[in-house]
Amino acid sequence: MDTITTKLSSEEIFNLMKQFITEVIGEEFVEEMDITPESSFTKDLEMDSIEIVSFSEKIKAHFGDQIDFTGWLSSMDLDQLINLNLGMIISYIEECQ
Amino acid sequence: MPVVTVNGRSVHIQELNKEAAETIVLVHGMFSNLSVYYFNIAPLLATKYHVVLYDLKSHGMSEKALTGYDLTSMTNDLLALLEALKLQKVHLGGYSFGGLIALKMAIRFPERINKLAVIEAPDPNDDKTRGIIDEYSREFLEHYVENFTDTTKVKMGKRQMERNHRMYEYLFYQTSIKTDMEFEKDFFGSPAIETIKKPALLLYGTDSNCLNAGKHLEGLIENASLSAVPGDHNIPIQQPLVIAEALLNFFQEK
Repeated sequence: MDTITTKLSSEEIFNLMKQFITEVIGEEFVEEMDITPESSFTKDLEMDSIEIVSFSEKIKAHFGDQIDFTGWLSSMDLDQLINLNLGMIISYIEECQ
Repeated sequence: MPVVTVNGRSVHIQELNKEAAETIVLVHGMFSNLSVYYFNIAPLLATKYHVVLYDLKSHGMSEKALTGYDLTSMTNDLLALLEALKLQKVHLGGYSFGGLIALKMAIRFPERINKLAVIEAPDPNDDKTRGIIDEYSREFLEHYVENFTDTTKVKMGKRQMERNHRMYEYLFYQTSIKTDMEFEKDFFGSPAIETIKKPALLLYGTDSNCLNAGKHLEGLIENASLSAVPGDHNIPIQQPLVIAEALLNFFQEK
């Protein structure tokens, strides 16, 4: 697994997240979507919880111990998880870097 | 994606805190997947324990299988998973259908189990439980999705609805799951269940239509204690922290 050492800009993080989402839900679905930092995982991207597990896996594999993504998610209740959007993840990753 | 090969098929697993001395294995329910534990319950348990989650066959991201949904096959799979992960003895927890798998495990392989936690395991002889299998239809799916799955609060979009629909169609019409469940309908009535001597925690929702099943089990299992928490069959989703803390306290009790 490739663990990065240089800091990523928020745009780079956004592009990386888009790549992970595409890998998880498939290109044919992503093509029909307009993914923005405001996109919510459950409402806009229609990802279910097992797909968010896969997405978390990809973040962990990429960033390694640098960030505790599962720990961060576990502090959220169901409503927060439903409202989780890409921008929130981008800021969290930026803070951890 | 972490995958192990169990009885010739790939099984998706997630492990937390591998360094801990003791292990908890958690089994999810029918039409669900390991994510029912992944976000809230497993991380809390992982503060003290090595936690292992896995997707049952044809569920989540594990490989599909046409047959083998009876409790003997499901526990053969779990035993093979313990072997693959080199786990000699574990605490075991299961939710709904996963609770039945946990009970069967305690009957068949007591030497591999420390303590047993059963969340909302239904009585397979209950008409409502079997009705789920009998009444299947598109309308039913929508109803089921609204009321019984871990996506309760989320209105499903088209892609998700179709994804779930495909899973139900596959499980109901192509696999042996219906007949395998019919086969288990006398499970609570079998003398084997009374042979369970492990300390057992039974967690049920105060408003669940499975609560009577919990009371029934409490009478059958010598060292079982029933704890009812506010909620219905979906308590792990409705009250993840209450469930996680109850499990943690139970497994830690000397």
